[in-house]
Amino acid sequence: MTRSPIDLRGHYRALLSASLDCVVAMDHRGCVTEWNPAAVRTFGYSEADALGRDMAELIVPRGLRERHREGVARYLSGGDPVVLDRRVEIVAMRRDGSEFPCELTITRIGNDNDPMFVGYIRDITERHATEAELRASRARIVTAADDARRRLERDLHDGAQQHLVGLALTLRLARRKVADDSEAAELLDEAIEDLAVATAELRELARGLHPAVLTEGGLEPALGGLAKRATVPVTIEHAPAERLPATVEITAYFIVAEALTNVARYAEASRAYVRVQRAGDTLVVEVRDDGRGGATMGAGSGLRGLLDRVSALGGSLTVVSPEGEGTVLRAELPCGS
Amino acid sequence: MITLAENRHPPGGLPPLQTLARGHNGLVTTVLIVDDHTAFRRRARRMLEADGFEVVGEAEDGASGVDAVRRLEPDVVLLDLQLPDTTGFAVAEQIGGEASVVITSTRDSADFGALARRAGARGFVSKAELSGPALEALLS
Repeated sequence: MTRSPIDLRGHYRALLSASLDCVVAMDHRGCVTEWNPAAVRTFGYSEADALGRDMAELIVPRGLRERHREGVARYLSGGDPVVLDRRVEIVAMRRDGSEFPCELTITRIGNDNDPMFVGYIRDITERHATEAELRASRARIVTAADDARRRLERDLHDGAQQHLVGLALTLRLARRKVADDSEAAELLDEAIEDLAVATAELRELARGLHPAVLTEGGLEPALGGLAKRATVPVTIEHAPAERLPATVEITAYFIVAEALTNVARYAEASRAYVRVQRAGDTLVVEVRDDGRGGATMGAGSGLRGLLDRVSALGGSLTVVSPEGEGTVLRAELPCGS
Repeated sequence: MITLAENRHPPGGLPPLQTLARGHNGLVTTVLIVDDHTAFRRRARRMLEADGFEVVGEAEDGASGVDAVRRLEPDVVLLDLQLPDTTGFAVAEQIGGEASVVITSTRDSADFGALARRAGARGFVSKAELSGPALEALLS
């Protein structure tokens, strides 16, 4: 079915009017030639106000205007298009001068002598706000879980661990008072040994919940402790002496702890290297080994769980582990300014 | 020879002379215990006295601990890591060179040894492993 030019025009206007996205067009001089109802609602200019005006002055924030004009001029004089026919996120400006984030695609129509540009603009303020709230909420969940674990560790430390330590001292004192060859001595030695195992297990559990050394001294001594306890020799190449936000410190610690556990269990490595270093607003955590490689971040692995924690903080976690060439685990964590 | 430290002991409460822990000047090594857990202080006192140290005082928080150091001038301060008002590290720094400090905790010496030495302490002993010889090993 064919339409007359008048039908086409009406059809086209109906499409523009119904669009929830702003559809605006400009000619090669940058003047507005199309301004749909969504653009009226979004930017605050009526169609009559906008038509014929310089697009840059209407909707491009002052600070970005020069770049916008240069970009158009460069393209019209034969340069490669930078923003044509792809999605870009930029900042636009309303009539009242307020700015908002939007996504935009620009396409070119018309002939070589008289090109026109049509832009589709969507206000994404709400999406940005939702994303920010989601990020904040995930980070709050991580922090709340950390706080709960810290409290549990503290309760264990102040309660059960103190009682067991008291018991250990009493038993050792009692042991001194009985003759070495008596049956009582044998029983006491057994009790002392069992208690040492229980105390060590409880200490391990408490440290797994929250390493108290992190709270007291930060990453440097905490990583030192991990290295000392590791069953594979570990070289700490760098550890930050400065204090970082608690959530960042604990995440970095758990990453190194999990990585060293994996090295000991699977890597058949002779040595591991740990480097935790701040680069601007990012904390880079790297654990390397010289083992057999082939590690993955499979479902159910401890690393997978850490990936959730890392993403909740807006960071990244990667594993590079070619067969026979060792493993590099690397995380980047935003750590504020 | 009767030492000043021995004079502070009630009659009969003193271990045999030959088992007394002696500092470099030949006197009995005196200890102050700073810990907010009463039960631990009591047991640590018994353990150290059994090993020949003289426990000259106890304190239950950082502020009274520092005060007791100045008043009692002990040779050694056995100092809990976590106190109600501050940390053992902060107290160790305040004590400075006035006494030899050994930090103690239920926690692991692999974690806290280096931090303790950085705060000016002679070292760290895990509470479960506390004994006269363990303390002497850190002091020598």
